[in-house]
Order: sequence, then C-alpha cells, then structure tokens
Amino acid sequence: MRQERFVERHQAEWRDFELWLEKRSVSARDARRHRREWTGIADDELPARHRRLCQQLALARRRGYSAVVTDRLQQLMQRGHSVLYRTKPVHWRRAVEFLLAGFPRLVRAEARCMLAAALLFVVPLVTIFIAIQVKPDLAAGLFDAQSLASFEQMYDPAGKGDLGRTSEDDLQMFAHYIGNNVGIGFQTFASGLLAGLGTVFVLIFNGIMIGGVAGHLQAVGHGDPFWRFVAGHSAPELTAIVISGGAGLRLGLSLIAPGQRRRIDSLIHGGRRGAKICIGVFAMLVFAAFVEAFWSSIASVPASIKYTVGAVLWALVFVWLLRGGRNAIHRDDEDAA
Amino acid sequence: MLDTYRHVVTPEGVALHLRAAGPLPRALAYVLDLIARIAIYMALYQVLTALFGGAGYAILMLVTFVMSWFYMVLFEVLMQGRTPGKWALGLRVVAADGAPVGWMASFTRNLLRVVDALPVGYAVGLVTSLIDPWGRRLGDMVAGTLVVHAARQQTLYEAQVAPALAPAIVLLQHEQAAVVAFAERAPRLTAARQAELAELVEPLTLSRGQAAVMRLYGIANWLLGRR
Repeated sequence: MRQERFVERHQAEWRDFELWLEKRSVSARDARRHRREWTGIADDELPARHRRLCQQLALARRRGYSAVVTDRLQQLMQRGHSVLYRTKPVHWRRAVEFLLAGFPRLVRAEARCMLAAALLFVVPLVTIFIAIQVKPDLAAGLFDAQSLASFEQMYDPAGKGDLGRTSEDDLQMFAHYIGNNVGIGFQTFASGLLAGLGTVFVLIFNGIMIGGVAGHLQAVGHGDPFWRFVAGHSAPELTAIVISGGAGLRLGLSLIAPGQRRRIDSLIHGGRRGAKICIGVFAMLVFAAFVEAFWSSIASVPASIKYTVGAVLWALVFVWLLRGGRNAIHRDDEDAA
Repeated sequence: MLDTYRHVVTPEGVALHLRAAGPLPRALAYVLDLIARIAIYMALYQVLTALFGGAGYAILMLVTFVMSWFYMVLFEVLMQGRTPGKWALGLRVVAADGAPVGWMASFTRNLLRVVDALPVGYAVGLVTSLIDPWGRRLGDMVAGTLVVHAARQQTLYEAQVAPALAPAIVLLQHEQAAVVAFAERAPRLTAARQAELAELVEPLTLSRGQAAVMRLYGIANWLLGRR
C-alpha cells in the first residue's frame, strides 16, 4: 500500500489516540470528573488501540514509509507506552498496610541477615561496655578529652536541665535527631552495595561508639541519667539500625552470591527489597526521634516510669516485627507498596 | 560505550528509542540541582529565622533533611522524571522499559547515591556509567532506571505536492526512501542547494537545475501514492 493511502486510511484513528493522550492521560481525577462529557475513545479501549498503533508502526517501518509517518507513529507509541506502563500511585491504605504487615514480613524473610547484623552491632557494643567497666582508661583511647567532657556534662546527675542535652529546645533536637539517625540508617543500608563491607564497618563502628559512651558514663557514675534518657527511644532506634544493617548485608550478598539469578537481576531484586525495608526503617527512626526529642529528655519523670515505657516499647517493637502480617492473607510483596 | 542509542522492545513488539545520557550532562544537571537547593535553603533561612527565631531554625533543619533525601525523588516522580536541573539539560529519568519512573525505583536510585558518591565526587558513579552501555551508575542499575535525553519535538514537513511522475527506472527500497526524504526536507534548503542535490541523481531525472528538483518532487509524489 502506498504511504499516502495508508495515512488516509488511519489518520482519524491516530488523531483520536492523540486526543485521548492529551485530554485524559494527564490526571486521573480530571479524567473521572469529565467522563460523561468525553466522546472520544473509551478508556478501556485504549490498550487495544495502542496495540493497533504498534502494529501500524511496525508495518510502516517494514514498508519503508518516510520519516513523516514513522516518526509520528513512533512518538505516539512512546507516549502511549508511558501511559499504559506507568506504576500505580501509592494509596494511604496500602502504605499503612505495608507498615503493619508487609514490613515485618520482609524483615522476617531476611531473618538470617538480620541476625548477622544484630551480632555485628551488639557484640562490639557489649564487649566495649564490659571492657570499660574493667579498665575505665580505655574510654580515653576511643574519644578525645573534649568529647568525654561534653558527654559527662550532658548526663551529669547533679545537672538541673533536661537529660541528654545542653540548651537547645525539643523541636530543634527533633530536627537534629531525625536528620542524623535517618542518615545513619540509610547509609548503613546503601553501603552494603560495597560487597557488604560498608555495612559491616558501619555496624561495628556504631556498636563501638555507643558501647563506649555508655560504658564510660556508667564507669564514671553518670549511668542513672544516661539510662533514663535512652530507655524510651532505644527500642525503635537500635532495632532500626540493625534492620537497615540486615538489608545492607542482603544487598551485599546479592552482589557476591547471586545464586541462580544473573548478578544484575539479583542486585535489582535485593535493592528493591532493601529500599522497601528502608521505608520501614525511616518510619521507625522518625518515631524514635519523636520519642527522643519530646519524652526521653524530660528529667522530672521518675526512673520507674521511664524504664516501664522503655520496656513496653521494646516489647511492642518485637511483637510487631515477629507477629506483624502473620495471619494476613499473604500478598506478593514484590509488587506491594 | 560508543553507541548510546538504545532500543527496547515493548511487549507489543515494537522498539522504543531511548537515547542514554552520558556522565557530563548528568553531572551538570546535578550541579544545577545543587545550586537550586542551596538557593532554596538560603531563602528559607532568611524567611524562617526572621519569622520564628529558634523554632524557625528547627524547621529549617527539617526542610534540609527532607530536601537532602527527597528533593530528587519528588521531582522525578511528580514531574515525569525531571528535576529542575535535568529539565534544564533536557534529561529525563525513565524505567529501563521506557515507562515513567515510580516511587520505589526513584527512592532506590537516590538512596544509592551514597555509594555512587564514594570515595569523592561521584567517582564510583562516573566509572560505572562509563563502563555500562546504558550509561547507568550503580543506583540506576539496582533501581532498574536510566537517564535519557528527552525526545526533541522536531517539526517534519509533508512532501510538496507536485504532479506525480513515474520514475523511468525501477528504484530499490532505500533509493525510494532517499527520494521521499529529499522531498520532505528540501523545502527548507536554499534553491541552489536543492538543485545541487537533485543533480546528483541525473540518471533518474534526466535534467538539471530547477527542472531536476521539480521532477524529483514528482517522482516522490508518485512513490507516496499521490496520483
């Protein structure tokens, strides 16, 4: 068929398609509002129309029609493709569902990586803590004198002000904690792409630092205000760091042990799951920063209440991670959220 | 590494044309985005500290935090793959199958900037994007995305209408395509250049100068099916 006749025959069809793309593909809300006034192609007819267009494009290329026709069809096809294959928008209900059920399920699915991350974090922490109790001079090797002095001042039992801070107000500390902690969490995950070594390093390093600070304060007798301060937010914060570490190790494993997948496919798989875990970690750290800024620093609450709240939060975090989404109808988490 | 023009076959069996973007335009886009963020930060600093004092500083820190992790994600997903910097350089982020990038993919590729930025100045990202045939950095590979040059809207002209004229000899398909392409593009050239090009195929037109151009138009019209 000559080009001119081909264009003549299908011109109207292409115009309809173009019109649909312009009017109805931009905003779903607008499309719903104006669905009664719309007289062009019906929405459910679009996939079929798109396939027809693709066929016509292939035909035009095969027959060597000129650029006027093929480029126009090519552009229409690419626009249609990006409408038909776009990802679904996220709904609030799906987001909540993910936090309550999907996220704990993802964490449990990587139980071994999570356990390894927990060991990499807790073992140095506890070791350093005990070591400093036995030999308090060790703290001076970890931190310089100035930082040690500022820790001691922040948790001075004789201090009048809030626990764990000098002069800033709660909102400012909230902003500070959130930026700091989420940064650490995300970096712990992402550095797993360096064959997992980055994650291992970050976990051990943070374990040593936290164990060092706690050990030093305990050793010099500032333990009480310190434990009262960290009791509340420790559960969501420390578990979130361990979980992001587990996700980072998983990412590192998909690089060095892709199994039956191609290495790139294995990385895509691991990265996608890891990024989803990071969303949950993000929520946990926001919550932790909230507790840390507005609850942990209150000095007037008696120690017994502080420790009770801390224990309840630890229990809630564990119940959530171990039981969440267990009896929900299992969804394919690959496509969820 | 040399061929940056990519074809992706869609489920319908036709090829999408994607022009993968190299490190330089991407780096420039990143610098523009950085400048934009710094500008936003400075403007907010003036406004917020003037209005709220200490609380304003806290809000500023929150905004900085959100911008450092979600500036790219928000623009990429809500603005069809374009951050302001990418928009200025005509770049877009798309999924590897040419579809618009989703929340999850955009979040992943920007999360992994942490690795691509190692050890300094995006060195890891630069090396991987030079090695990878699609010009992707590590974050792009894991997220299954790539950065492309947005399609330029070029105006094409229909071939000029002229009396249809059957060619004296049978033309092969690529010869036919060349004649039609000439008829579609020549109107934008000067008369002298048109004639010069048309005279290259003297065996076909059997004439010179403006007459050759008109004959070639005629043959193109015949090939297009205008009778």
